[in-house]
Amino acid sequence: MSIIDLTSMGEPQSDLRKELNDRLTKLQDEISDYCFQCAKCTSGCESHKLLELEPHKIVALLKRGLLNELVNSDVIWTCMTCLKCRERCPQRVAPVEILFALKNMAVASGKQIPGKYTGMLQSILSMGLIQDIQQTTTRTNKTLKRDELGLPPLSKPIDVVKFQAGIMKIAMEKV
Amino acid sequence: MKKKYSLFPGCLMPTEQYAYELSIRETLPLLGVELVDVEGFSCCGEPMKSVNQLLTVYLSARNLAIAEKHHLDVFAPCAMCHLALTECQHILEENPAMKERINGMLAAEGLQYTVKRQVVHTVDLLYDQVGIEKIKEHVKKPLNGLKIAAHYGCHIIRPSEIGRPDDSENPQKIEAILKVLGAEPVNYPQKLDCCGAPLLANLPESALTKTGQKLQAIQEQGIQGMVDVCPWCHKMFDSRQTKAGETVAAKLDVPVLYLTQLLGLAMGISGEKLGLELNLSPVEKLQLGDVK
Repeated sequence: MSIIDLTSMGEPQSDLRKELNDRLTKLQDEISDYCFQCAKCTSGCESHKLLELEPHKIVALLKRGLLNELVNSDVIWTCMTCLKCRERCPQRVAPVEILFALKNMAVASGKQIPGKYTGMLQSILSMGLIQDIQQTTTRTNKTLKRDELGLPPLSKPIDVVKFQAGIMKIAMEKV
Repeated sequence: MKKKYSLFPGCLMPTEQYAYELSIRETLPLLGVELVDVEGFSCCGEPMKSVNQLLTVYLSARNLAIAEKHHLDVFAPCAMCHLALTECQHILEENPAMKERINGMLAAEGLQYTVKRQVVHTVDLLYDQVGIEKIKEHVKKPLNGLKIAAHYGCHIIRPSEIGRPDDSENPQKIEAILKVLGAEPVNYPQKLDCCGAPLLANLPESALTKTGQKLQAIQEQGIQGMVDVCPWCHKMFDSRQTKAGETVAAKLDVPVLYLTQLLGLAMGISGEKLGLELNLSPVEKLQLGDVK
């Protein structure tokens, strides 16, 4: 199994897009309808000052049907997932969840996954965790690993083949 | 009454944030919490939420099912893991069709999710399960009024609708614990600011800027140190403090400890046992015990 299988969820792609589209249409029709553009989400957004993310505008664009533009935009990848917008929205719109759906859609439609996500996914597939045991440096510049600190063995999937078989089902499931 | 939990380590704590694990294993058993190591856990799935949300739910359900197989409740010291596991329970309890679907996939490993078991984080485990009174009994070296800023981390306080360890807008449990240790918790305007870690995967410079801004604010207010309760937050505030300083053009020197490290020091445990030699921020400034 490869990353491609997992991110494109196998064949046929059109079914997957349809399902994700349905999910977003639901967000568009039912949820973004409640938004009255008070911008409380944007006023508390952790990514607003630094990266110009404006969650209320994301909701407005979705409402206007600019789905492809959003999916192909880099701005959806600037969310810090602090969840303040979900917590504070007086209409329970949760822009952070809309952004997760848009990012999932971008990945499923074959757009390149940014940054280290691919590496982390690869590591999960091969050993169950986003990274293996790392060497760490002490205040006095000694290098140490987990076992040298007297910590017990790492908990990770015992039978990797079976573990992968479970994840494989997600690849076949088309979200 | 003895409390027993499976320790769900996640990815970051057991592969690089060793000080958190060391200090948890030193302090909690002395406070009557039995930690059970279980084989076979995997990533909680939260880091993959932007890529594929179903994978997140599946991985969390898988870990919950492993704990269930051992008839154990779960202690997840990482804020991200705690959110993923709690949200997964919420989804599976609310949506029987999703539960059936996920259980179909879990069958590949002979696992099943059937009951909602307790999932705790360091903060509610200490405050609600162990309790302030019990902690008080174990304080041997009070912290002499050290002025400390508490950093909760976004994922343990939000979203409140699924139940989180502390209040979303005015969390106070860490402050209550700091007080009983003899420290003086400081209220500061940036308390709820994010550490930036979720952006490490794709926008590392911005992530570090976020870290730098919060630390700089703490430094300017003359607060003596900071405690955190999440391996991702700590990776930013402690392990990468020097780099974070570069992004905001400031020389940062804020001592940052895990809450469990400070707890251990107040309980009279040596700095070495609590992994203090692994903190890269200037913890020696706090002049606690044998910390150099």
